[in-house]
Amino acid sequence: MIQTLPLAKTNFQNLILGLLGATLLFLAVYSVTVGAFAVSLPNTISILVSQLGLKVGVHTNQEANVLLFIRLPRILLAMLVGGGLGVAGAALQGLFRNPLVEPGLIGVSSGSALFAVIFIVFGSYFSWATQFFGGFGLPIFAFVGGLINVSLVYNMANSGGKTDISLLILAGVALTALSGALIGLAIFYADDAALRNFTFWSLGDVGGASWDKVSIAFFLILGPSFLLVLQFRNLNALAMGENEAFHMGVNVQQVKYTVLLISALVVGVGVSMTGTIGFVGLIVPHLIRLKFGADHRLVLPGSFLLGATLLTGADLLARTIVMPAELPIGIITAIIGSPFFIWLIINVKKIRS
Amino acid sequence: MLQANSVQFNIHNRPIIDRATVCLQAGELTALVGPNGAGKSTLFKLISGDLTCKHGNVTYNGLPLNRLKPKQLACLRAVMPQHTSVTFPFRAIEVVELGLLLSNQTYATTTIEEVMRTTHTWHLRKELLGNLSGGEKQRVQLARVLAQIWEQKPHPRYLLLDEPTSSMDISQQHHVLQVLGELKHRNIGVLAILHDLNLAANYADRVVLLKNGTILHQGRTRDVMTSGNLEEVFDYPVQVHSEGPRMPLFISSLPAERSSQTYTFKLA
Repeated sequence: MIQTLPLAKTNFQNLILGLLGATLLFLAVYSVTVGAFAVSLPNTISILVSQLGLKVGVHTNQEANVLLFIRLPRILLAMLVGGGLGVAGAALQGLFRNPLVEPGLIGVSSGSALFAVIFIVFGSYFSWATQFFGGFGLPIFAFVGGLINVSLVYNMANSGGKTDISLLILAGVALTALSGALIGLAIFYADDAALRNFTFWSLGDVGGASWDKVSIAFFLILGPSFLLVLQFRNLNALAMGENEAFHMGVNVQQVKYTVLLISALVVGVGVSMTGTIGFVGLIVPHLIRLKFGADHRLVLPGSFLLGATLLTGADLLARTIVMPAELPIGIITAIIGSPFFIWLIINVKKIRS
Repeated sequence: MLQANSVQFNIHNRPIIDRATVCLQAGELTALVGPNGAGKSTLFKLISGDLTCKHGNVTYNGLPLNRLKPKQLACLRAVMPQHTSVTFPFRAIEVVELGLLLSNQTYATTTIEEVMRTTHTWHLRKELLGNLSGGEKQRVQLARVLAQIWEQKPHPRYLLLDEPTSSMDISQQHHVLQVLGELKHRNIGVLAILHDLNLAANYADRVVLLKNGTILHQGRTRDVMTSGNLEEVFDYPVQVHSEGPRMPLFISSLPAERSSQTYTFKLA
């Protein structure tokens, strides 16, 4: 019995991950069928299977077009961005050794948004970037902005291996305010065409999804998220403290740079595609830890799956509550997230001990 | 052999550690003793690799510390800092398992159970670390560092402990020092900062007395732990008694006004 204890734990973790994955899959399939233009489940399956060259059941061309070119990329984008926010939130919380850290709160999202806006508004100056990176230009710009902010925040709040949470949040507030002001300034100088682009982007949420965006997100969110998940041992060691992690053989500096870089990439790419979506990176890792413990082997991939589920669900609500109109998805996550954050602040003493 | 050769560490040009040379042999327990602010923790961190020294160097088995990667270093030594705070809700057994971070054994369950039984923490394994008392937390952390060096290795290794028993009751203190004593048979050298002079005198093979960043005396315990040396280091009257070379040492100090009288400590 004793011999199998860790093995039982691993099996338990795999079971949880399997359940989370299955929930995500069911929600995604359900979500595909629901909307202003409903497609029945048999027809949905028929459309999906016909993509593999098999003829099962019947469906109309209109149904196929709605499903394949509007709804499916949209849901995949929601899954990728939500998963990315979840796993980046979990990894940043692990790195900062603090459960209150969230990409939106510490200024990563606002930095990405600023750089995304600069790219959109002053796009004509960055034609070289568009030529060189193609569709990757905007996400890469957003990533650089997020990276600048997260590095600044980290250096401001960190001294001697300890992160002061009040400094961290304040630094995040300061940088978010500055980014917001600079976004306003950039819009002030924008011409009509750029302004229209910006409006589309800022209202874009996952409604603006296309297969191009999904394929970029696939490379720049799913791949890096997987690299973050591989950091689970190092983040477990870091939970003991930076010195302790070093004593146990972790190259702390390298882990820090890796996690900051990849988190900024994952969040920045998400922001560049859907605008800033708050609270996913805060709620999701917390729920996983609360229910299943703090081992990052489960927390990191679990946060990806649950983040993907949460954003898919939020998107489902956003486009069904006021059908046939749509709410911005950020409103839904904020309505769920803010009370959760308040609950967290009230309970933070209990959580810390 | 773990050797610190004439290491120096300054803060604002003031030496915290001034040309200290310490040599740890595998199979020996060395106690680092001195008053508050003597630089014990600084010297400890120079040896563990947390701090780098301006002059002098530290070598593990002849390899200079600054040429070793964290991973290689972790195979040579384990470190238990004074305080370790854990933010997230980890269970005691998960903390101990972290000691095997570098181990290639996929599930070294026997190691985990052995070190947890050795440190009397096996019954606490499923508790959240935050719910344990100070002394229990300290024993869990000790189990973690023991796990790191528990597996037998052909090369000598070292265990560095900064006040490992500070929160423990007296029976646990003695138990921990007995455990450290047994590690000597595993080709492991132990360095411990100890505040309790009696623990240092009766368990250590060698003692290093540190004051104002300088090593005043070091050597075999019986040679170093004398009233004269201890009074010099602590600026306070200290009596050392023993009934013979093989009998335990008793170290006592009394409130200043009483010891200033010709009060002599009598053994029962």
